Amino acid sequence: MNLLQQVLDGLSSGSVYATLALALVLVHRSTGIVNFAQGQMAVISTYVAWTLYDAGVPVWGAIGAAIVLSLVVGALVERFLIRRFEGGEPLAAIVVTVGLLISVNGLVSLIWGTVLKQFPSAFPSGGVGSGSGGTIGYGTLGTIGALLVVVLALNWLFRHTRLGLAFRAVAANPESSALLGLPVGRLLMLGWGLAAAVGALAGCLVAPKLYLAPEMMDSVLTYALAAAVLGGLNSALGTVLAAWFIGVVENLAGTYVSFVGGDMKIAVPLVLMVLILLLKPEGVFGHKEVRRV
Amino acid sequence: MSVVVDEPAVTDGGGTSRRRRGRALTAVALVLVFAVFPLVMSPFANLQVTLILVYAVAILGLDILVGWTGQVSLGQSAFFGIGAYGVAAGAVHGWPVWAGLLLGTAVAGVVGCLVAIPAARLRGYALGMITLTLPVVAVPLAKRMEVVTGGAQGLNVTIVQAPGWTGLAADQWRYYVVGIGAAIVFALAAALRRGRFGRAFDAIRVNEALATAQGVHVTRYKVLAFTLSSVYGGVAGVLYVVAVQFISPETLVLTLSISMLAGLAIGGLRSLLGCVLGAAFYVVVPNLTGSVSAGQSYLLYGVCLLVVMLLMPRGVAPALGHAVRRVANRRERAAASGE
Repeated sequence: MNLLQQVLDGLSSGSVYATLALALVLVHRSTGIVNFAQGQMAVISTYVAWTLYDAGVPVWGAIGAAIVLSLVVGALVERFLIRRFEGGEPLAAIVVTVGLLISVNGLVSLIWGTVLKQFPSAFPSGGVGSGSGGTIGYGTLGTIGALLVVVLALNWLFRHTRLGLAFRAVAANPESSALLGLPVGRLLMLGWGLAAAVGALAGCLVAPKLYLAPEMMDSVLTYALAAAVLGGLNSALGTVLAAWFIGVVENLAGTYVSFVGGDMKIAVPLVLMVLILLLKPEGVFGHKEVRRV
Repeated sequence: MSVVVDEPAVTDGGGTSRRRRGRALTAVALVLVFAVFPLVMSPFANLQVTLILVYAVAILGLDILVGWTGQVSLGQSAFFGIGAYGVAAGAVHGWPVWAGLLLGTAVAGVVGCLVAIPAARLRGYALGMITLTLPVVAVPLAKRMEVVTGGAQGLNVTIVQAPGWTGLAADQWRYYVVGIGAAIVFALAAALRRGRFGRAFDAIRVNEALATAQGVHVTRYKVLAFTLSSVYGGVAGVLYVVAVQFISPETLVLTLSISMLAGLAIGGLRSLLGCVLGAAFYVVVPNLTGSVSAGQSYLLYGVCLLVVMLLMPRGVAPALGHAVRRVANRRERAAASGE
């Protein structure tokens, strides 16, 4: 295993963290809530994709259908559950997402059981590269590519469409947006729906590397939270860079620093994140919040 | 400018003394029920109540930080673990329990203080992330430091045996020990809340800039709140080992921190009763849902959590207080019109 391969593997896991972190950022930008259930929602989406695949649907079709379904369900969750807690006590909103996490986890175990399932990779096996340098798997490149597609698609949506403009207006100032006649409620639903869709993709990307299990996204969520906070919770670019940084550092430390090993490798990026946050509390790419008395 | 304190306004007139007498009677009745309970109930029920008190202390510690001071923490399970390992490791080496108690809570307090000194400048999700790191690091550390912690197997201990003269079974004696310990730290917290510290914490929660203007040293009080919170977490960990005589790395996982935060929100912020109710939810509801259906236990637990939050977004204790006050007011009005 050479260094380049390790770095690319790190970038690949980082891309999965980034995809889920982008979902967290979407939710935070639209409703100001950090959704602890984001990972678990991605898990149930991935199970839906697995069920479709198991029934004979091609991989890409199954993943696509799961993403669309997640978009709808995510929007409904915002409308019928989260809406009641927006603007209230922040702890209540956080705990509601924790309740959602537990419920969805229970639902997944109930429907699909706790036996691990093998999830097919959306990318062909094998890879590119010469014999001496080792090979770089198509899965690794495909995961990084999928993240780039998501970033470009979201960028296009938010920067170049009227819908994206309206969404940004609502994120910046819901009250003024409502006065301008924007359908604030529906745009918040869109934020949660998009987040669930992006999360579903993250789940389908990570599932072939691990096995499909109800707890599959727990550690991914920890990294994604770290990436989102490190990126400033509002910046897509910052989030992606932070997630890549976390993925690469985790992979290199786990491989080359013998003291770290498999059990402590999750701690390395987190401790680095703590140090960075202490130096720059608003995150690397976040904006300083102006507080008034 | 006075700071908002969530105390019900005392009504003047004839209602006050009647209410005070009612409150004293309720307290006496509660103490009696508490004292008699373990003598007539099963060992399992005694353990349940003991565990509720253990987690109530940990949640109270979290309330000092989250409810009183308005900060976030996902690290409480790590401090719980430090306290538990302090007393358990001490017991393995033949230390008396009080020495383990001192060790566990002191280490928890020192670690809490050391984390808080740099972290007190942060707020919101940044602080949440930093505290989240604590359990994530603590679990593999506990597995590795085998000499002290017994590794992944954890530590089995035999402490706080019932003295022969009491004629009590182990579960009954531990129930009383944990109960009295919890009562002491609850009384301390109640005193703290009413005094200078409680008001300073309130001021920080409501508005930091304003608190500074009022002469409250914000950073110092935040560090203090964090330290107190971790000491309470440590005490709860010690009481946990007294209750179950066992500690392993699996006890201090992040999930426990999150469950404590959920318990706090369920019970209601800034309420001693709320801490107990939140702990009761955490201990009792999984048992209930498990007895309803083993396979759907987790799903039912999550749904219960969501339903309670939907019905009582500010927690059970404030909702109860509101209901009790309404009944009392109605009764007073009826008494006044009947005169």
